[in-house]
Amino acid sequence: MNEDIFQGLVQASLPTSLIATAVGALLGLIVGMIPGMTISTGIIVLLPLTFVMPPDISIALLLGLYVGGMTGGSFSAILLNIPGTPSASATAIDGYPMAARGEAGRALGVAITASFAGGLFSFLCLYFIAPELAKVALQFRTQDMFSLVFFGLTIICSFAAKSLVKGLLSGVIGLVIVTVGQDPVMGTARFTFGEVNMMGGIHFLTAMIGLFAIPQLVDNLTGDAGKGTQTRIGSVFPKAADLKTMRRPVAIGGFVGAFLGILPGAGGPIAAFVSYDYTKKASKRPDEFGKGSVEGVAAPEAANNAVTGGALIPMMTLGIPGDPVTAILIGALMIHGLAPGPLLFIERPDFAYGLIFSFFWANIFNFIIALAGLRVLVKALATPKSLLMPTIAILCVVGSYTLRNNFFDVYVMLFFGLIGLAMRWLDMPVVPLLLALVLGGQLEEYLRVALTSSKGDISIFFTSPVSLGFLSLSVVSVAWSFYAGRDRRPKSKDGNTT
Amino acid sequence: MPKRNIIAAIVLILAGLGYGYMTAHLPVRTLPNTPDPSFFPWINTTLLLTLSIALLIQGLVQAKPRGSAAVGGGAGRVWAALSLYFVYLLLLPPLGFVLASAPFFAALMALYGERRPAWLVTGGIGVTVLLFVLFRYVFGVLLPRGLLESIVP
Repeated sequence: MNEDIFQGLVQASLPTSLIATAVGALLGLIVGMIPGMTISTGIIVLLPLTFVMPPDISIALLLGLYVGGMTGGSFSAILLNIPGTPSASATAIDGYPMAARGEAGRALGVAITASFAGGLFSFLCLYFIAPELAKVALQFRTQDMFSLVFFGLTIICSFAAKSLVKGLLSGVIGLVIVTVGQDPVMGTARFTFGEVNMMGGIHFLTAMIGLFAIPQLVDNLTGDAGKGTQTRIGSVFPKAADLKTMRRPVAIGGFVGAFLGILPGAGGPIAAFVSYDYTKKASKRPDEFGKGSVEGVAAPEAANNAVTGGALIPMMTLGIPGDPVTAILIGALMIHGLAPGPLLFIERPDFAYGLIFSFFWANIFNFIIALAGLRVLVKALATPKSLLMPTIAILCVVGSYTLRNNFFDVYVMLFFGLIGLAMRWLDMPVVPLLLALVLGGQLEEYLRVALTSSKGDISIFFTSPVSLGFLSLSVVSVAWSFYAGRDRRPKSKDGNTT
Repeated sequence: MPKRNIIAAIVLILAGLGYGYMTAHLPVRTLPNTPDPSFFPWINTTLLLTLSIALLIQGLVQAKPRGSAAVGGGAGRVWAALSLYFVYLLLLPPLGFVLASAPFFAALMALYGERRPAWLVTGGIGVTVLLFVLFRYVFGVLLPRGLLESIVP
């Protein structure tokens, strides 16, 4: 075994890392199953706790939460017909009818097992594809990196299905915000209004906390999610016949999920619905779909968990987030002084492989905790909003204060919360703004450095085959977003699909 | 929705003009034939103004209202919660975390539907103290002590 791989395995298998992964999976299952809480919000709320932890422990905890959250979403989808996360929407179609006819335990067991299989498949994809892709990405020059980041930003179009203008405006507002502070090339102060705290720019985690958490607090103030359940669960361990039935949907879900996870902007909900659709078409009993089919539960659950490993591939190797959660994970890594991208495998191979193996353990713990602790976990569905939401409100303040021990960041967080609410009022998706905050700084830096090296000649972006390739992919990505499957894409109110 | 689009478009156009004005006054520090610090902000200004005008046109020509994703029912509670948040953030530095957070927490609990006084008091004080202890003594995050500075280590 390669020494770096071995080091990564050892790092991810240390007791502290394992405990962090298990705790993350447990929290993820709880966060995922509570209607009104998305995985993104869960991770954002948990982030302040991770600042004081070593990066490997921190990322193990967050990966556990990411994986657990995907599975947890299916619990409330099956028991309440309310998907805990948008990624679990397709699971409710067959999961809830199964629960309604007294097979809640069977449906949950199928969902947990399919999630596990999908997650493991995506781990294999991550393990084998990520290091090779990183080697390729190391050959990229500045103009190629600009085009790559530009391609990453075309994810925005995936979240702008309702209104292209509003989606793009949201992205541009993000690009405007990243210009606050010192410019990345010359260090000139821009738009700081003489405020010392703004010299370092707007910390995008502060912005994220406000943009995601404050609108969610308001949602829960006006909505009616989160009612308790009285459904009897029964045995959750899948029977041999169910395992046999699950083989094909899990295979379809695994492939579809991992593939769509790699593509920027696709995400869990699309993967879940596409795999549900494919499985139904390939099934010998398509008429059972929608009435409580085991295949109908297994396919979307395998798919949405397979998305997690798929989304980590562009995040780790190219520094491009595959979905909103990986965008937040990039921020978490940056807090620890680690920049995701091809150099991660060169400068910190132990960490890179440790992350991959932590993802593996996250799937293992998620499976064990979900199966063994299901009866206790579902009690979280009865958590009163009157206790949960004020806690989140205070954690938002603590989280933004903790970043730099500074009240200025807390006020910035509230300001972005108000922006998030205004965007909600306008039906403007918030995810493009988030992506622009994550990628905007790099976009400007690569653009200016490339133009400096070419003495202002923009043909540099078209004469490099790699750059031209990414620009062409950007065009395809935009076209694909608008002309393929736009009408079947489910969306949460904030455009956050995880 | 068209009315909202028009209002938003006007606000964004004004913001874009302001951003463009500030961009025009950025210090020029650059090498010959290379982009200066205002290069990227000018791209943003152009995009922001173009898209805002497009939104304005959409709002003006759009006759049929589309589905709204606005706050909806309970707007009073939303404003109350936001006002509480604002007051809480103002009081946080002088009062400190515990003294400011406990009443804020209890007030939010009430807004989210909790009516039992004992739960409001217990929840407000209990959760706040728990979070303070957890962050300050376990995670080493120095949350402000405010008026309790002489009492709390």
